Amino acid sequence: MLRYTLRRLILLVPVLVGLSLLVFTISNVLPGDPVKLAAGPQATQSEIDSLTRELGMDRSLPVRYWTYVSGLVRGDWGQSVLTRRPVWDDLKIYLPATLELVIAALALAVVVGIPAGLMSAVYANRWPDYLSRVVSLGAISMPRFFLGLILQLVFAMWLGWLPLGGRYPIIDEPPPKLTGFLTIDALASGDGTAFLVALQHLMLPAFAMSLSPLATITRMMRATTLEVLQQDYVLTERALGLSQRLIIFKYVLKNAMSASLTVIGLYVGWLLGGTVLVETVFDWPGVGLYATKAIVTQDFMPVMGVTLAIGTIFILANLVVDLLYGLLNPKVLYR
Amino acid sequence: MDRRHVLRLAAATTILGGALVGPLAATSVQAQARKILIVASNQDVPNFDPHVASGYSAAAFMRNIYDSLVRVEGNPVKVVPHLAQSWTVSPDGMTYTFKLDPAAKFSDGSPVTANAVVYSFQRLIRLSKGNSWMVAGIIDQNSVTAVDPQTVSIKLVKPFVAFGHVLPWLWVVNPKEVEANKGADDGQTWLRSNVAGSGAFRIKRAEPGNLYEFEKVASPWKQGGGNLTGAIWRIIRETSNQRLALQRGEAHIAVDLTAEDMDALKDKPGVVSIIEPEFRTFSIKMNTQQGPLADLNLRKAISYAFNYKAMEESSSYQQLMVGPLPHGIFGHDPNLAVPTTDLDKAKEFLAKSKSPNGGIKLTAVHVSGLEQQRRFMLVLLDSLKKLNIDLDLKPMVWPDMVASTASPDKVADFFPVYQTANYGDPDNIAFAAYHSSRNGNWQNPVYKSAVVDDLIMRGRAETDEGKRKQIYLDFQKQVVEDAPDIFGVLEKRKLALRADVQGLVFTPVASNAIEFFPLSLK
Repeated sequence: MLRYTLRRLILLVPVLVGLSLLVFTISNVLPGDPVKLAAGPQATQSEIDSLTRELGMDRSLPVRYWTYVSGLVRGDWGQSVLTRRPVWDDLKIYLPATLELVIAALALAVVVGIPAGLMSAVYANRWPDYLSRVVSLGAISMPRFFLGLILQLVFAMWLGWLPLGGRYPIIDEPPPKLTGFLTIDALASGDGTAFLVALQHLMLPAFAMSLSPLATITRMMRATTLEVLQQDYVLTERALGLSQRLIIFKYVLKNAMSASLTVIGLYVGWLLGGTVLVETVFDWPGVGLYATKAIVTQDFMPVMGVTLAIGTIFILANLVVDLLYGLLNPKVLYR
Repeated sequence: MDRRHVLRLAAATTILGGALVGPLAATSVQAQARKILIVASNQDVPNFDPHVASGYSAAAFMRNIYDSLVRVEGNPVKVVPHLAQSWTVSPDGMTYTFKLDPAAKFSDGSPVTANAVVYSFQRLIRLSKGNSWMVAGIIDQNSVTAVDPQTVSIKLVKPFVAFGHVLPWLWVVNPKEVEANKGADDGQTWLRSNVAGSGAFRIKRAEPGNLYEFEKVASPWKQGGGNLTGAIWRIIRETSNQRLALQRGEAHIAVDLTAEDMDALKDKPGVVSIIEPEFRTFSIKMNTQQGPLADLNLRKAISYAFNYKAMEESSSYQQLMVGPLPHGIFGHDPNLAVPTTDLDKAKEFLAKSKSPNGGIKLTAVHVSGLEQQRRFMLVLLDSLKKLNIDLDLKPMVWPDMVASTASPDKVADFFPVYQTANYGDPDNIAFAAYHSSRNGNWQNPVYKSAVVDDLIMRGRAETDEGKRKQIYLDFQKQVVEDAPDIFGVLEKRKLALRADVQGLVFTPVASNAIEFFPLSLK
């Protein structure tokens, strides 16, 4: 397993090189003039020329790519043309916010989706199943941004229970930064109130983001559980007089989980790449908004940085999923 | 699933829910009690360096953290003393002498001296970034000198009567602090996230993409001001969320509201709306150099065929422009004879053009996602149909539109432009939007006229107010005669604030770059 993990980690390098090459090429062949835009509307030609030289945009594409990649090796992720801020400094701020949101959404989807799917299959064609199917269908059809607006209206505006947006009350100092995940940082500093406050801010956006994976996981879990329940060994266990709870939780759950695990792995990428709408609605200062702004203004370095960071996280998440298969099913071999 | 399980689950959910909802503290109450003003804006502060950053959020940041020699206030805009207590201008308008306020000091307690002013201007020119364009070619490295510790002399390289209007946006830094952190890039790395100013506020907390918190310095050198102890520039991207935050009291001022938001805020308790004309123009530029619109008669035909009423009615809170300059700015002629919708006259000009019966297809671009701009362009499409002219309307991302202005052959036949005056002088719009040296830039991609160039340069140099006014009257007449643009609308500034905010006086220049010092919270 260790050898397999190492091999996968080594394979990460060519994948990231390919990804960086692809995004770098696409970014640089697009029409548009980011330097002119960054120089400002009143910039003179000499100012534009000077900025072009400063940013190295006067050099050939291969030279620029090599400069970028060698910078990455040294830990230099480049600089935003528009803000002149180092991309790595920005990623350190925005990425934890998005990761916290994505992990919370995924956790919610898993914690609710797997039992819901299991229950739906166990109580197939009875009211828990009907309820779960109707809710899943609704959830998968509901656009995230629209749901976000509805949640804001109900829970923030009408009931006043939860905040409208943001990660933490702006008037208060957030807990000391350790990981950038406010909930974890609050716990690490031993501040229970801060933890609850951070959780309050996380609830609505995480719920809005979780709905689609939750519905998919529920439906996937239902389908695979129904399939497993038809297996001979389940019938044998029933014939042997084992309790329903034991059969479901010890034998069926593990075998039905594999497909859902694949979906969870894929959803990591889907959620990371699709946070922008929820981030916009809830003013969540995450990487989605950062990347979108960079794309619209053709600010290439942040686009490259976000792509590589999300790509790396996605690959690592799927590596973890692959390793988890082995825990669920001992027959899985790592070669 | 038995009833006991369901009850347990319901009880657990209720307890968890109660615990989560419990500690929600009211931001509005706390902010009010602590006299912290919250401004909701959709624009992040890109960079803290006063000689690098630009944009309205940066302007708001700088005008609270840094000071300039003079500042603007009031409506109509006045230039008033700030770091400079008084100043004189030589009769030829080429030399400005400023007497600094001896009370002025930086946040580290050191005095703001003439040397600091010299250092700041030289750094601005050296870096050639941010607001340096405002004085590019007007002053150089040797223009600013210290006469004595309290007196600064600025000798212009070229005459520029509007110099007083650009000075409020040229900030003075503390040389001691910048030199101590100079590095290899003239302090740019350090000033990107640190400040060295003399303003009444300093930065307390910066969370890019989220908020910037300011706190008032213990004893600001400026006397008076409001009762604020601090302020928060909060990034709220959706305008509807800005409106909701304002309604809930979670923001005291919202600066990016749309016409629909302003309508929704009407009669809402505790909310005050400010809807004022500002020097922000919208016009549709025509490609005067290349293609069918190089023909003056066709441009005039289109200018008369355009449905101005439909444009005005396509959105609230705007007024039709009268000529190239915004209403209320020095020299603007409200009685200027500009094209109005007149189909007979349009057809007369069309008959004189190279396409007397229309039958041509023109191209127009607009910024994708800017709904209002799209609506204006649809009005154009509809208006052109009456001349038997088709319009190919292409949405584009802004960087592509900017790139297309590089040469006349790349510019579309119609190119819509919003333009905000950075300073309250007609030179700003006249030079940027109509001087031929700006060709190849989005504010004036192609239009060139030797007569107009001459008028603009004379307007820059003329110190006699009466003569200068006449120059701008002539300028407007000539531009209308050349018909390089369909003069569109002057967008009104839409600000909304809580009724407890006091001391806000609207100024039609950078009115969304809120200055905290004079404001109070009840």
